[in-house]
Amino acid sequence: MTELLKINNLCLSISSDNESEILKNINFSLKESEILSLIGESGSGKSLTALSIIRLLENNCRVTSGDIIFNKKNLLSLEERSMRIIRRNDISMIFQEPMRSLNPVMSIADQLEESYKNENKKDIKNKIVENLISVGINDAERVMSLFPHQLSGGMKQRIMIAMAIACKPKLLIADEPTTSLDVTIQKQVLDLLLKLKDDLNMSILFITHDLAVASQISDRIVVMKSGEIVEDNYSMDFFKNPKSSYSKTLLESSSYTKRNASRENKENQNVLEVNNLKVYFKEKKPFLSKEQPYKKAVDDVSISIESGVTHAIVGESGSGKTTVAKSIMGLTSITEGNIKILNQDILKMKNNYRSNFRRNYQMIFQDPFSSLNPRMRVGSIIKEGLSFLKPELNNDEVNSSIINAIKSVGLNENSIYKYPHQFSGGQRQRIAIARVLVLDPKLLICDEPTSSLDVTVQKQVLDLLIDIQNRRHISYLFISHDINLVSSIADKISVMYQGKIVESGKTSDIIENTSNDYTKKLLSSVPQII
Amino acid sequence: MFAFLLTDIFFYIIIFSLGYYVYYVRNTKDILETWKHVFKSNTGIISIVVLAFFLLIAILDSIHFKEKIKNEKNDLISYSSEIKSVLDLILLPTYQNTEKSYSSPFSSNLYSKETRILENNIEQRVYPKLLYKGNHNKYSEKNSYNIFLTFIFSLLKYILIFSIFYFFLFYKTVFKGISNLFHHLNSNKTFFITISVILLISIFLYDLSLQYYVLGTDKVGVDVLYKSIKSIRTGILIGTLTTIVMLPFAIFLGIFAGYIGGLVDDVIQYVYTTLNSIPSVLLIASAILMLQVYMANNPMNFENIYERADLRLFFLCMILGLTSWTGLCRLLRGESMKLREVDYVQASKTFGLSRISIIIRHIIPNIMHIVIITIVLDFSALVLAEAVLSYVNIGVDPTTYSWGNMINAARLEMSKEPIVWWSLFSAFTFMFILVLFANLFSDVVREAFDPRSTKNYD
Repeated sequence: MTELLKINNLCLSISSDNESEILKNINFSLKESEILSLIGESGSGKSLTALSIIRLLENNCRVTSGDIIFNKKNLLSLEERSMRIIRRNDISMIFQEPMRSLNPVMSIADQLEESYKNENKKDIKNKIVENLISVGINDAERVMSLFPHQLSGGMKQRIMIAMAIACKPKLLIADEPTTSLDVTIQKQVLDLLLKLKDDLNMSILFITHDLAVASQISDRIVVMKSGEIVEDNYSMDFFKNPKSSYSKTLLESSSYTKRNASRENKENQNVLEVNNLKVYFKEKKPFLSKEQPYKKAVDDVSISIESGVTHAIVGESGSGKTTVAKSIMGLTSITEGNIKILNQDILKMKNNYRSNFRRNYQMIFQDPFSSLNPRMRVGSIIKEGLSFLKPELNNDEVNSSIINAIKSVGLNENSIYKYPHQFSGGQRQRIAIARVLVLDPKLLICDEPTSSLDVTVQKQVLDLLIDIQNRRHISYLFISHDINLVSSIADKISVMYQGKIVESGKTSDIIENTSNDYTKKLLSSVPQII
Repeated sequence: MFAFLLTDIFFYIIIFSLGYYVYYVRNTKDILETWKHVFKSNTGIISIVVLAFFLLIAILDSIHFKEKIKNEKNDLISYSSEIKSVLDLILLPTYQNTEKSYSSPFSSNLYSKETRILENNIEQRVYPKLLYKGNHNKYSEKNSYNIFLTFIFSLLKYILIFSIFYFFLFYKTVFKGISNLFHHLNSNKTFFITISVILLISIFLYDLSLQYYVLGTDKVGVDVLYKSIKSIRTGILIGTLTTIVMLPFAIFLGIFAGYIGGLVDDVIQYVYTTLNSIPSVLLIASAILMLQVYMANNPMNFENIYERADLRLFFLCMILGLTSWTGLCRLLRGESMKLREVDYVQASKTFGLSRISIIIRHIIPNIMHIVIITIVLDFSALVLAEAVLSYVNIGVDPTTYSWGNMINAARLEMSKEPIVWWSLFSAFTFMFILVLFANLFSDVVREAFDPRSTKNYD
């Protein structure tokens, strides 16, 4: 096979106050009809590498040295005119967010039409239909007249791929194309990419942070860390015996060791009991219709959690798992059902009593960047809950418990004088954990606490959560979309689908011999490291 | 004896709250960091210094007093009904005498001819000489040479004043050797250059004003430069006081509408859409007319013309404020709606915080950047609005010094031949400088506070 793309000693810097090198001596090559995965954590420079190939860098980025040879042409020395021709004919790119990459006011047909220049209208229409069918959209005629908001995320990503392959490119750059998709759809998109690679004989530069996805699809793996390539290896070799130590940590972090479930036969007090919970949202009434339509976000869900147990709710986006969490925390109004915490019905409590009772159950949010007020110091963020839920403490007690909390999540004592933006994502999530730990709750609801973090950090935060559970005997209601992750930390799993719990039971039972079709589909879609 | 006009009191409140804000920022690290961006840019420093100079003039012009009058006959002390400000005291030599009518800048004669009867009863049409200025050259009979010499003397004065101030403020750097001094001057280059230019211009203008009417005189012979400087207070007052009136409406209604939502939101939205659909000029005109009727019917309520004029200025600020809160309110409503769903607000809800505490602790600090940007942006618009309103006679009282009034008066003289241009020119220049620097300042502030700008932290 001949080399299609070769990058030699690419260096790139961002012009800012202090000129800093973002990419240092990037070297790799891509052969024809090969899939190369560029792996790295956020900020490792993988997207910048891709953007510098297609020359779509932002104005403040500057390639300082090196060259990019594509098809025997040096892309960096081409003028913008001929580069545009290359972008139209030879290199295509798909982006992470399909919702933002499509123009919301243009129909699908109009957007696809842009990819076909200099051809007559009738041909174009036939080609579009052909193209849509090739990306697995069978009712192409109908989809063509729709607008982006009428399509699901997976469909939009298919449209994006259809646009990218319309010109039958030699190279397709896919920048985290499946990150914002559910696992079942992710699998479909990955399968599609593999099929298209063979059909069109094109090479794919696949950028991802997910090792499992990379192992599913790629022939070669290039690992990047803070702007440098730390490993360039064949996929098979990489997963068997990685060369660099960083790759080893990455691999370790993404495979969770199964936890021994020794803590089961303890006191069987129910910390949380949710019975027949229903949360319906009113939808817009159709014109002249008498009936009020509802969206059943949560439909008849029952969960019970014993003390010291981790119970996970797994489901795809829109399955209603976060709504369950929010209704327990009192953040959405409940249509029907009751919720008992420590055998007390929180819906029937008097307001005063409940606001005091809240110290027993708390929540950790998904995104540590939005769950901490940027204008408050870490100390006062942690103090907030204390001063409202434990007003009986005096100043010294408050201060000492804040310091205890911050230490118990592994942060420095003087972090309390800093602001959230001075911390990284993982550290911020630790602060969020400290904020609720300080109240000494019996039940913690973790709403995807790690899904916005890098794999290595993810692992650290999970370890911290498990460690806290062992020390303090807290129950977790763990909400996640990642059945792989959940199977390693949860004692029990409930699988949610369209507002209902389709299956519930011990983790081992569900993972190993499930009877439910949806769970089976979910399990089979999860990418595994081969 | 000090005299307090209504607007003075509110202006003091504004100055104190500005001072408190500076104090608050100095103690709040992340906001301080943001403001440091403003001070780092040259545009920021220049505009802050220029605006501070304007503000200083406005403050000096807002400290009013009545002069003591001693009755010669019975030794009784009484107070003059005329209200003067500290600025008047400083500028006393420039305005105490008035000429008969128009005279052009640096001229030594009136602008129009008068008939003079000579000794032998022959009538002659001449340009009469000015009585107080223009014919009293200090250094040389030749005008250009005299102006040049005045400039040299002003420069000397400036160097003296600047070094004294510098010595008192930064005496530490002076004693650390000459290289250190230069380093200090050089690292704050923009700041010192701006200060120097302003200081030099002020001294020079002051010196010139003792001998000439630098910007001519108006119809009744008053120094136009003096009028323009006195107008600064009116402009700044309208810009700031209106904002103070508008802020509570905008902030509280905006947050309540956005955060509480539902019926409250509907009512507030209804109010501001209704208010927005009434032409504001109509509203202002009717309010000012109502005030005029009130003042005509109750002349006893006012001690002197200053109070009347001041009440009208105050009323104008009120009514401008009432009509201009809707834009900011709408912005804040949207922002609070967004913040309502943000995780840290949700997290505080799980702590059982009340609505009011969430609004005070989480919402208000996180919308303040929008408020600051809007205040600074609106300021220049309001200064211009005053000019427009005075032009159509629904602005400030005709006796109040304001750029709008100057333009309005100059309008009638535009058709005169030869044209009387200097009134319009000075009002325009002063307003232009203030609005230009306010706009430059707002640009820098917006850039620093805008979370999307790259300079800010993420």
